[in-house]
Amino acid sequence: MADVITVPQVRPVQPALRFLRVIPGVLLLAAVGYAGKLLEQNVGAYAKAHHWTFPNIEYVLWAIVLGLVISNTVGIPEIFRTGVATYEFWLKAGIVLLGSRFLLGDILKLGGVSLVLVAIEIAGSLAFMTFLGRLFNLKPKLTSLLAVGSAVCGVSAIIATKGAIEADDEDSSFSIAAILALGALALFTFPLIGHALHLSDRAYGLWAGLGVDNTAEATAAGALYSDAAGKLAVLVKSTRNAMIGFVVLAYAIYWASQGQAKSVGNKAAFLWQKFPRFVLGFLLISVLATYHFFNKDQVGALANLSRWAFLLTFAGVGLRTSFSEMRKQGLRPFAVGAIGEVVIAGFTLALVYGASKLFGW
Amino acid sequence: MSAEVVGAKTGNRWKLSVDTWAVLVAFLLALLVRTGVFKHVPW
Repeated sequence: MADVITVPQVRPVQPALRFLRVIPGVLLLAAVGYAGKLLEQNVGAYAKAHHWTFPNIEYVLWAIVLGLVISNTVGIPEIFRTGVATYEFWLKAGIVLLGSRFLLGDILKLGGVSLVLVAIEIAGSLAFMTFLGRLFNLKPKLTSLLAVGSAVCGVSAIIATKGAIEADDEDSSFSIAAILALGALALFTFPLIGHALHLSDRAYGLWAGLGVDNTAEATAAGALYSDAAGKLAVLVKSTRNAMIGFVVLAYAIYWASQGQAKSVGNKAAFLWQKFPRFVLGFLLISVLATYHFFNKDQVGALANLSRWAFLLTFAGVGLRTSFSEMRKQGLRPFAVGAIGEVVIAGFTLALVYGASKLFGW
Repeated sequence: MSAEVVGAKTGNRWKLSVDTWAVLVAFLLALLVRTGVFKHVPW
């Protein structure tokens, strides 16, 4: 006989109250991001005025570092947390607005090349992470989550896969922590390697979009190199994001065949449900820009709105990264993630290098 | 023993995802720029 447990209805929070709750955190994102922008302008000018040799540090890095310092010293008080979590919203709004700077022809041209590279990257990453997970004797579903997180699009892919394959909360926390920690490392290492290898903006942008897992970190890693590299990193990363439904569907079918997850009924509906809407928004804005719906000044205004949205995102990347939380997650999944990421970064760099030789970039 | 959970639904079928909200807000901003409400956005 089935027991019936009645769970009391959770009283929905009023929309106005929900809106008020995000304000302190959004103001914190804005303050940290703007402080990063001021530091970029003033530190460089101060160093120049005093004849110091000081590298030009972009607002992107200042905002992330300020956020990291705050979250790992004083911490984020409860009142700010809901608003700080909106950084993902600003990231996606920024990407949609950035679509105004792409003409459809560019997207088809670059998107075609990046689609081929993305397909190779996804297949290679899934295979290698699965091999590593087995080698380190990780739980199979944890291996699946790490593989999807590093092959497709970081945290969103892990969350989507967790629901589809019915993985444990603990496994998804492990995978998310590993992907975020490695994304934070990529922010500092990718630009250094790119400069050391004298990569062109195009080659570096492709590499950042292919090799950095989480969308926020890929956007930041691209922007840290140059504006053009940042634009391309977003395009390539969005192409990877568009693949999320197919990869999650494949894993859902696999785990259902093992009798460890629900079977997928309508596959087209499943794909539509998982497809990231912001990729559609990005494409639609670029179609409008291609057919001159916006004049030159308006495209400039939209590009600046996109930069402001990214400013809040970069502050959020720093503010939500807590090293002590990551330490709590244990070493083994992190080690698997780290080895996998280093290999994937090398593999994608080789892919980009090959493509740049082939296309003469 | 199996258990059936009753009454835990939020009941809000019109709730939009973060993605959808981001697209809507971005399009609203684009419309405001297009109609001239926002003429110049400084950086």
